[in-house]
Amino acid sequence: MTTLPQWPHGKRMAVVVSVDFFDTHAILTQEPRMAGREKSLSVWQYGARRGVDRLLQVFEEFKLAASWFVPGRVAIEHRALVQRIHAAGHEIGNATFACEDFERLSLAHQHDSLCSAQAALRDATGVAPVGFRAPFGNWSPGFTQHLREAGIEWSSSWRGDDRPYFHPPSGTSTTPLVEVPLHYELEDDPYFTFNLFPPVPVGQPRIASYREVLANWRQDFAGFHRFGLCLPLRIHPEILGTAGRIDLLRELLTTMRAHDDVWVATGREVAQWWRSQHDGNEPGHPVDVLAPLQQASQLS
Amino acid sequence: MQLRQSLWPEGKRSCVALAFDVDGPTGNAMLDGSIWRNPAFFTLGSYGPWRAVGYLLDLLAEYRVPTTFFVPGWVLETWPAQIKAIVDRGHDIGYHGYQHEAFWQLTRARQQDVMARSLALFHKHLGLTPTGFRTPSGDWGDDTIEVLLDAGVTWSSSMRGDDRPYFIEHAASGRNLVEIPGRWELDDYASLAYQRHPDFPAGLDRIAPYDTTLDNWRREFDGSHRDGLCMTTLFHPKVSGKPGRILLLERLLQHMREADGVWFATCGEVAQWWRTVHPPAGAMA
Repeated sequence: MTTLPQWPHGKRMAVVVSVDFFDTHAILTQEPRMAGREKSLSVWQYGARRGVDRLLQVFEEFKLAASWFVPGRVAIEHRALVQRIHAAGHEIGNATFACEDFERLSLAHQHDSLCSAQAALRDATGVAPVGFRAPFGNWSPGFTQHLREAGIEWSSSWRGDDRPYFHPPSGTSTTPLVEVPLHYELEDDPYFTFNLFPPVPVGQPRIASYREVLANWRQDFAGFHRFGLCLPLRIHPEILGTAGRIDLLRELLTTMRAHDDVWVATGREVAQWWRSQHDGNEPGHPVDVLAPLQQASQLS
Repeated sequence: MQLRQSLWPEGKRSCVALAFDVDGPTGNAMLDGSIWRNPAFFTLGSYGPWRAVGYLLDLLAEYRVPTTFFVPGWVLETWPAQIKAIVDRGHDIGYHGYQHEAFWQLTRARQQDVMARSLALFHKHLGLTPTGFRTPSGDWGDDTIEVLLDAGVTWSSSMRGDDRPYFIEHAASGRNLVEIPGRWELDDYASLAYQRHPDFPAGLDRIAPYDTTLDNWRREFDGSHRDGLCMTTLFHPKVSGKPGRILLLERLLQHMREADGVWFATCGEVAQWWRTVHPPAGAMA
């Protein structure tokens, strides 16, 4: 009864590897008590120091192009590193200016953050990003139109499906924004992020077992492969780009590459493919259910 | 402790009443309106009815397991085709609030409203009157049992305190409900659910390993089967109906299908059996 998506060249499924190169900005938004705490912040600074290079090395080994989400400030503060990521053939997407939580920002400020980041990233790489990730997942109604006007073609911020979908058309834009939806179980942060104090995660859970996480990811991959879906892997240089964990990525990619019917692509490529194949969402898609209800709640 | 005599039809050894709560995005964030500013969370919850239910129905057909789905009215009116497919494929549907209201915090009148509103939607979209109820968020109020009985509900799967059905009496009217209790060990929230903002688990504990989760669930079945009991589940399509976890459920169903003498039944069938064969002491059979 379930209709399964088609992928290019007769491939069975798609994999998008995305990297959040947020440095300290997302954690400072998430946990303001982090400010000024050098030891704690250095956990997140490890990404720029070592993790990015380690991820780049693995991507080169696997001849894989990833989609990196970079806030504008990181493009300014780590300009040479961002240029190297770009030169290695990866896609660079916009991750707001300083990983602001858009739920606490007015639409106008969300727009400013988007545009400042777009300018900073274009300045660093010479190319304006077409991908976008809201680090905390949300934005206000109306922001989708700003994204399209800024030249953004795809986002990977929301959830609710296991294949791409279209955000409702907005404004004068004729081609809607494509979403490559996320799944927490395919992110490294829920399993591994840790800081003693301020506590991250808030309840101080143990760090998960590496081999069990790899086993979970392999099973998630097997499920996405069986159903022919789009698997979004979301990783961080400071979390998975460490000496002890980088082999989890290698082993997972080895598992994926053992199949010759897996299309590993950037978000941009997947969004382009989806656009070429589909005119709209299946009726009743959550994103289409949501829009009028958001409007109604604003009026009431 | 193993029972000497089978409690189940045809001398079957134990009973499995597999059940899912199709909450979708309903719950506190919808009730307080914050979900309309939280599209990441709205879409996370929507995955269950929108996508996962379809995968689950295929799996349940393959293993021929009649199952009970508890569906809030809001989910039914939002995705009627997906919910109708549950009925069309032979499964049972029970009440689960309109937007997953916590019944123990509602006045009697509000509880009655929620039941009436849900019933109207079940009539409109499915042409049926549910007989069973699972209380959203687990607890109910002192007056809930009477509200349920007045709404025509004959059984519930809301409690945790036993491993086989029992009767919940409404002393004032002499009426009763059959209760089919679940256990937290068989709630996929306790092992696999994860979300941020609102955070679950509250302390953002890690997602459990799938292998050890499966081992726990198998052991729960093994014990229930050995002792001849009734096992139900509090699974959620948005949690354990995701692509990687469907494989986990598949292995659990395989394991249960390999056992001899399991009565796979809907909660409604279990309740009816219990009322007929194991009536409360002093009641007319």
